[in-house]
This record gives sequence, C-alpha cells and structure tokens, in this order.
Amino acid sequence: MSTMAPDRVELRPDNTATADVQLPAIKSYTQATDEILDTLHVTKAWFAALGVAVLCLLIGGIAWAYQIYMGLGVAGYRPPVMWGVYIITFVFWIGIGHAGTLISAILYLFRAGFRTTIYRCAEAMTVFAVMTAGLFPILHLGRPWKFFWLIPYPHWRLIWPQFKSPLVWDVFAVLTYLTVSATFLFIGLIPDLAVLRDRETNPVRRQIYGMLSFGWRNSDREWRHFARAYLFLAAFSTPLVLSVHSVVSFDFAMANLPGWHTTIFPPYFVAGAIFSGMGMVFTIIIPIRRWFKLKKYVTINVLDAGAKLCLFTSLVVGCAYITEFFVAWYSGSEIEQAYFWNRVFGQWWWAAWIMLTCNAIIPLSLFSQRLRRNTTFLFTLSLWINLGMWYERFVIIVPSMSHEFEPWKWGPYAPTYVDWAILLGSFGWFSMWFLLFVKQLPVLAIAEVKEIVPPKMRHSHKEPDPEGHSIAPGLIGSYEVR
Amino acid sequence: MRGIVGVFPELDATVEAVEELKKLRLGDVTIYTPTPRHEFEDVIKHPPSVVRRYTLIGALLGCTFGYWIPIWISDYWPLVVGGKPIASWVPYTIISFELMVLIGSLATVLGLFIHAGIPRITHTVGYDPRFSDGDFGIWVECRPDEQEQVRRVLREKGAAEVSGDR
Repeated sequence: MSTMAPDRVELRPDNTATADVQLPAIKSYTQATDEILDTLHVTKAWFAALGVAVLCLLIGGIAWAYQIYMGLGVAGYRPPVMWGVYIITFVFWIGIGHAGTLISAILYLFRAGFRTTIYRCAEAMTVFAVMTAGLFPILHLGRPWKFFWLIPYPHWRLIWPQFKSPLVWDVFAVLTYLTVSATFLFIGLIPDLAVLRDRETNPVRRQIYGMLSFGWRNSDREWRHFARAYLFLAAFSTPLVLSVHSVVSFDFAMANLPGWHTTIFPPYFVAGAIFSGMGMVFTIIIPIRRWFKLKKYVTINVLDAGAKLCLFTSLVVGCAYITEFFVAWYSGSEIEQAYFWNRVFGQWWWAAWIMLTCNAIIPLSLFSQRLRRNTTFLFTLSLWINLGMWYERFVIIVPSMSHEFEPWKWGPYAPTYVDWAILLGSFGWFSMWFLLFVKQLPVLAIAEVKEIVPPKMRHSHKEPDPEGHSIAPGLIGSYEVR
Repeated sequence: MRGIVGVFPELDATVEAVEELKKLRLGDVTIYTPTPRHEFEDVIKHPPSVVRRYTLIGALLGCTFGYWIPIWISDYWPLVVGGKPIASWVPYTIISFELMVLIGSLATVLGLFIHAGIPRITHTVGYDPRFSDGDFGIWVECRPDEQEQVRRVLREKGAAEVSGDR
C-alpha cells in the first residue's frame, strides 16, 4: 500500500463513459433526443424497402400455400434426407437472435459501454429473428394446423407431449426465449416511449404512445425499480442465450447419427449462433448508421469493438470445426470418419468449403485494425458470414442424413424452388417487421445514450484528480461520495 | 396533494437543491430525470428495490412447476422403458430451467409495475414533458405555509422555473 497517496475520499465511479465509448459530438441531452427522433420520419426509400420485403413475404406465402395443397414432397424431402431447408433455416434464424441478447443482456452485465448505441437494433433483431424461426417448425409440419399438439395443454384424454423428447424441449426453449426477449425489448422501450409521448403533437399518436409508455414519468422511484428489473431481466437472458441454442443442438445430438451424436454440439452451436448474429448485426447496423445519419452515435470505435467480438467467436467456431474432425479421427469409428471425409472431400465438399471459408478463414482478416474500422469491408464481410452460417447448418443437417450407417441408405438432396421461395419469404417477413420497427420506435435507446452524454453542469470541476482519473464534474464535495 | 415543482437545466444544481430540501425535512421529494444518475441515488439514499423478491419467488415457482408437471404426467401414465425410472429428472431439468426463466422474468416485470406504480392513467402532479427531454425536475410535496421556503430554496439553487401544482 502506498503511503505517498494523499488522503482523499474514495470516489464512486461516475456513469460517464470511458474514452472509447464516449460520444464527443453529442453535446446535450436535447441534441440526443432530437437526432434520434429525427430517424422516425418516413422516406420514399423506406416505403420502397418495405414494398420489396412484403413482396418477398408474398412469394414465400404463395409457396407455402402450394406446399400445403400439394404435400411436403414439393419441399425436396426424399428419404433419407427428411430434414432440409426448413430446419436449416430454423436453426439459422434462432442463431441470429443470439447476438442480440448477447449485446443487450450479456454485455450489459459486463458493463461493456460500446453496446449502448447498438443494443436496441440488436434486441429488435433478436425478437424478429425468433419470430421468423418460430415459423419454420410449423412450415415443416405436414399438417401445420396441428402445431399446438406440441404445447402441453390439458387434453380431455390427458395425452401430454413426451417430455423426454428434444423437440418438446425446443418448444419450451424457443417460446421462453421469444417471450423473455420481447419483454426485455419492451421494458427497455418504456422510457423512450415516454419521450415520444412528450414530443408528439398529434393527439391520437400521443394517446397511443401514452398507453404504450404506461404513464412513465421518469421519477427517481420509477428509475430505481426499473434499473433493478432491467438488471434481473438481463441476468435471466444471459443463461437463456446459452440454453436455447444448446437445446436446439440437442435436436441433433440426441439422435444416433454420424456427425450429430456428439457432446461438442451445445458450445459449438452457441458460439456459432453468436457469430452469425454478430454478422447480422453488422448487416443491419452499418446501413442504419449511414442512412439514418447516426455516425456520431454508432462510432467507428463501436464497430471496432463489435468486430473484435465477431473475430473471437469466429475463432471459437473455427476451433469447433477442427475439434469435430479430430473427434471423428480419434474415435476410431469408421462410419464417423467416412462421414466427415464425405462432408469435406466427397458429396458435400462445396457446402463444407463455403462454410469453412466464410466462417473460419475470411473473418481472420479482422485481425487487421484497418479492416475492422472500414465499414464497407465490415458490411461485405457480414454478408459472407450470413451465407457461411446458413451453409454451416446445411452441412450439419444434410450430410448426416444423406450418409448414414448403411450404404444402401445413402442418397442425395437438392432444395426445390418451394424451399428457396420460403427462404426468401422468411427474409421478407424478418425485414418487414424490422422496417416497421425502425420508423415507429427509436433505433437507439434514448435514455441510455443520455447516460454516456455528460450532463449540463452549473459549476465546472476545478480540482484536478492527482491520479488523472475521470471525475464527475462539479459534484466533488457537494455530497458524500462512496 | 399540494406542492412545488422546480425545473433545473443542470445536474449539480439539482443535486444541491435536493440536499438542501432533505436537510430542511419539508416533505416528500421526487426527482425527475431523463436518465438514471448515480448522483441522485447517492443523495436520496433509497433502500434496495424490492423487485428482487418478485424475481426470486417467480423463479422458484417456475422451477418447481417445471419439475412438477413432467413428473406428474410421467407417473400418471407410467411406461417403463428399459427398467429406467419413470420420472427422470435430468431431461426435466431443461423444462424446469426454461420455466424458471420465464416465470421469474414475468414476475420481475410484475414487481416493476407494482412498485413503480405503472400503468398510470392519471395525470401526475408536478410532471413536465421537459423531464423526459433534457431538464431535471424536483417536486416537493408541502403544506401551503412551507411553499414560500421551498420556492426560495429551489430558486437559490438554480431552478430555471418554479411553480406550484396541485
């Protein structure tokens, strides 16, 4: 312990952000409110984008109607491959959601300041991605109107779902994830809805915002309970991120098929999910910061920090790929070895190499700081990551089913135009909700952005801190600090 | 309910005013702030929020229900497979975990609503739309004979506007 340090009161850390996440261009709370609310004005480009999204959704809807009329055979299902594009896309969209919860909840618990300006978009992305994912198990059913049989409701014959089945665990995990993510998003929106209510001049819209904000008044009492509730929701969401994709991985790992029946699947799926979600966050946030003129908020430092997270998860995913190959070799099982050989150098080599290139090789470029801070590069990379992660799920699902234990059961698989139309429709569905969101609600959390904007002070701080620490200006000695 | 509301553009002035009002023990003080600030937490010294109790109770209920329902169903329709226990707690832990998170989260929201006093459909005395934008506010509940003293404190500490409300 140093005896040279002068006696002084131990300062409580101020909630002003550290240098790498500060927003130097934002001078006041009012400026933050004005600029964020400015993004809500609708434009012709937004209407055009919404039109394209709805068109894609219609194409998917028509394909689904055709599939219901003709039967699941039009979806490219041929024995032995009875899980195809729908299950691939289900896992893909569930995975996309995970980065949103990581950014909004896990980084909140870790006090990672860079999340502040991107978490609202990421959280909305989570909710809409899980809404999209939730459609696919229903699309995959031959009789989709019977989907509620998976939910444990009190049937008059007391027939319940099989609680030892991973498919039932999936129902619980995905529904919980959707409910908790939507709750977390909505609770975080309440103070911002109050801002919208107070700024709105149209009486009808004001009434709607008033109802949605539940009469929020920004009082110290409300904030105290809000902060605690938000913390607990974040704490609940954190293990939920890990559990949901682990449960999704059990759909495969519990089955006795080569390539699936392995204990590496839960961490492998979770890392892949976060990686794919980070890719989608960049795909969304980079155009938003440009078109909505939010470069002052979503700074290059924020993107740089996100890119580091993306690089880290890419390394974890790459490590999982290598471990899978090692496990197959080390197991001594000829069937397992033949399956992995077929995956990488045989029937499915092209899909496996798209996966390896997009997910494990190209992201290594993020070791370069110059590239991490280049938005055009990041956006392009994010598209490759999205493609690579869709193909990762393709590589996990299709080759295992097409190359089982018995050679007479081996077979090909090719998605049909119905599959592709429904995949396009899913992007239309997701984009439609997201586009509606960005023009009705603030894409940045106004109240949280204000937390990292220095408040207006009457007195500037005069006494410099001997160790050069950041001190809340004007407050020293005015009350007991702890 | 009668009281005086002061509108403050500056954070430090608001903190000083609250300190002074607390010293004078004039009545309940409510602070309005566009964003939560540690400075107010330190000066008001509220006890910890009780929302955590709702979270704990909700999580325990969810966890219990998540074990109970599959165990009850397994025992109701017992199918012994391979001599294994009918109620196998390991897979049921997944259901229990998910319901713990679900009910715990919803109970947390319930606790927030009850203790923050929302949804609120009536007008709140002392509230001003500026408090969600860039200004801080102090609402002091006080008797008519105390109002002049409160007005003086608020003005001295830097309030941009002081007015009465009821």
